[in-house]
Amino acid sequence: MAEKYYAGIDVGSHSTEAVIIDDNKQQLSFSIIDTGLDGNAAAENALNLALAKIGINRENLNGIVATGYGRANVTNAGKQVTEITCHATGAHHIFPQAGTVIDMGGQDSKVIHIDENGQLVDFVMNDKCAAGTGRFLEVMAKRLGSDLDQFGNLALLSEQAVPISNTCTVFAESEVVSLLAKNHPRDQIIRGLHQAIVDRIWAQSQTVGIHGAVIMTGGVALNQGVIQLLEDKLKCELLVPPQPQIVGALGAALIAHRNFR
Amino acid sequence: MADQNFKSEPNRIQYLNEQKAQGRYLLGVFPALYPREILWALNILPVEIWDPPGTAVLANKHLQPYICPIVRNGLELILRGETDIVDGFLFPHTCDSLQNLASIVNDHLELNKPVFSFYHPKMPYTAATQKFYRAQLEILINQLTSIFSPIDTDRLTECLRLSHEIGRQLNKIFKLQRTNQLSFSNSEYYPILRQGEFLWPEDYLKLLNEITAGETIPSKPDTAIVLSGILPNPVEILSLLDKLNVKVAADDLLNNQRRFYLPQSKFSNPLDALTEAYLKRPPCSTIGTPISERLNHLIKLAIGSKAKGVVFLIPKFCEPELFDLPQLKQGLQKAGISSLVIETELNCGLTGQLTTRLEAFIEMLGN
Ligand SMILES: Nc1ncnc2c1ncn2[C@@H]1O[C@H](COP(=O)(O)OP(=O)(O)OP(=O)(O)O)[C@@H](O)[C@H]1O
Ligand code: SF4
Ligand SMILES: [Mg+2]
Repeated sequence: MAEKYYAGIDVGSHSTEAVIIDDNKQQLSFSIIDTGLDGNAAAENALNLALAKIGINRENLNGIVATGYGRANVTNAGKQVTEITCHATGAHHIFPQAGTVIDMGGQDSKVIHIDENGQLVDFVMNDKCAAGTGRFLEVMAKRLGSDLDQFGNLALLSEQAVPISNTCTVFAESEVVSLLAKNHPRDQIIRGLHQAIVDRIWAQSQTVGIHGAVIMTGGVALNQGVIQLLEDKLKCELLVPPQPQIVGALGAALIAHRNFR
Repeated sequence: MADQNFKSEPNRIQYLNEQKAQGRYLLGVFPALYPREILWALNILPVEIWDPPGTAVLANKHLQPYICPIVRNGLELILRGETDIVDGFLFPHTCDSLQNLASIVNDHLELNKPVFSFYHPKMPYTAATQKFYRAQLEILINQLTSIFSPIDTDRLTECLRLSHEIGRQLNKIFKLQRTNQLSFSNSEYYPILRQGEFLWPEDYLKLLNEITAGETIPSKPDTAIVLSGILPNPVEILSLLDKLNVKVAADDLLNNQRRFYLPQSKFSNPLDALTEAYLKRPPCSTIGTPISERLNHLIKLAIGSKAKGVVFLIPKFCEPELFDLPQLKQGLQKAGISSLVIETELNCGLTGQLTTRLEAFIEMLGN
């Protein structure tokens, strides 16, 4: 009998990921691309990329689950599930000891409390605006002339932080401009920005509480500055999967496995 | 179902004009608790102002950005001249924001319309509370009669009976809805009930009678929830719940069942009966019910309706509700009931985040 495969696609506001797993829930392949303007096209492209890497055809897929902010528009998915459930499922699969999942993406940040089976117990998610999310870091990195993948490390160069009072992306940007004009050191401003984001996610985490091992997922988990400052603030170690961005898509693939076997 | 007509809401402005043409006075009433029976008895139709459509622009001149949208949209409605049809306003003493709105309307807008306040007592109730409330009823009657028609005691008695009958029918509908014996979706159910915010009591009662007299078609939702908070907005939330096959099995909304009460059908004195009914109201943040009491009430609602979770719909910056919420959430969780707080504008549609939060909550309840 032919091998069965399952796909999960996470259409995020920033990037789209696809993950393929086999019948034993082994991850075989993944892809990460920019979402761009057309979420459905991004989903198609990400899926084709992940399939091509392992030379599998679309017909070999037993089921596809879509998640992420663009999930409703993924036409070839058999089921849509929110990224909150998917990140919980993916994180539990990688770290069965997970009790708390912090997912920081481009426009959303979520703190998810899960039980020993990876099921949701409670969660919080930011409101409409992009204050304190990955987008905020992108805008600030650009404003301060840094590459995104170096931005977090710059935050760790200085022991001191210039306090930033605004996490609203628009206001914080003008605050940064005036701090630069007052000759505050760039590293200290960068640390201050990271501290502001960490304070915000910390406050969010307090409403559901921190339970068990804490897993960090989403693209912001690639930012060493956020990881280290958040570990200091939470006074615990954060477990970060090797590819934190694909955890939602992995969770979606696992849910496809559960639903379409 | 019986006559499908009640599903289509009458044109509000046309209805109000017809009422006026019949010689009735119209009073714009802001949320939430007021003795509507007294208004009816004075030939005054209360037209409640909860969630006027549109976005506030003019109102921002008078209000800080952190004032709730009920107050903001209500003021906007007045400033746009869309309340010209009413003969005055009534502001129950619900919260500080509404209190301040009453002074803006009264002192600064030069509308040339009377503005009334209704001061209802807050908890904890003492020995003097009953007397105080009864006195407030008399003050309101005196103020209204000095401007509108004199009160007809027989009609007041009749209005209490109408109110009792409306309460009885609503109770029946709540029960049918809770036990899945009504085929109404959430997005049909609320607009029908909310017609009580502007219909003359006899018309409203007729509508409710039509519903309860119709044959009942059972519905089979996957998940039942309790809806709490202030009012069922943005309305798109109700369609999303329908799409997810979730039923609002019990409701603790200020604008719906939390205002619900059943005055006695037999009484010797209407004002005493109204006072007694007020003191027996369900727990509410706007009357300062101790959180423990409200928590017990919510737990009872959830258990009684087999609801798996509670969704709180809170207008942004609604202080009375927001202060109680952390403890309510915690208490519910201890009782094994999950809850979700949605703090929102009233007419903003569904954002991606809002959809995701609600869907994830329902996924969580389904586990
Ligand atoms: N190499 C990198 N180094 C540091 N940060 C990164 C890197 N790549 C991405 N990020 C951060 O991750 C964010 C995007 O995360 P992710 O891909 O998880 O978002 P998304 O799932 O598309 O968004 P959402 O879940 O909010 O819809 C970016 O805004 C950026 O801040
Ligand atoms: S929503 Fe809250 S703050 Fe606004 S009027 Fe009602 S009780 Fe007052
Ligand atoms: Mg994401």
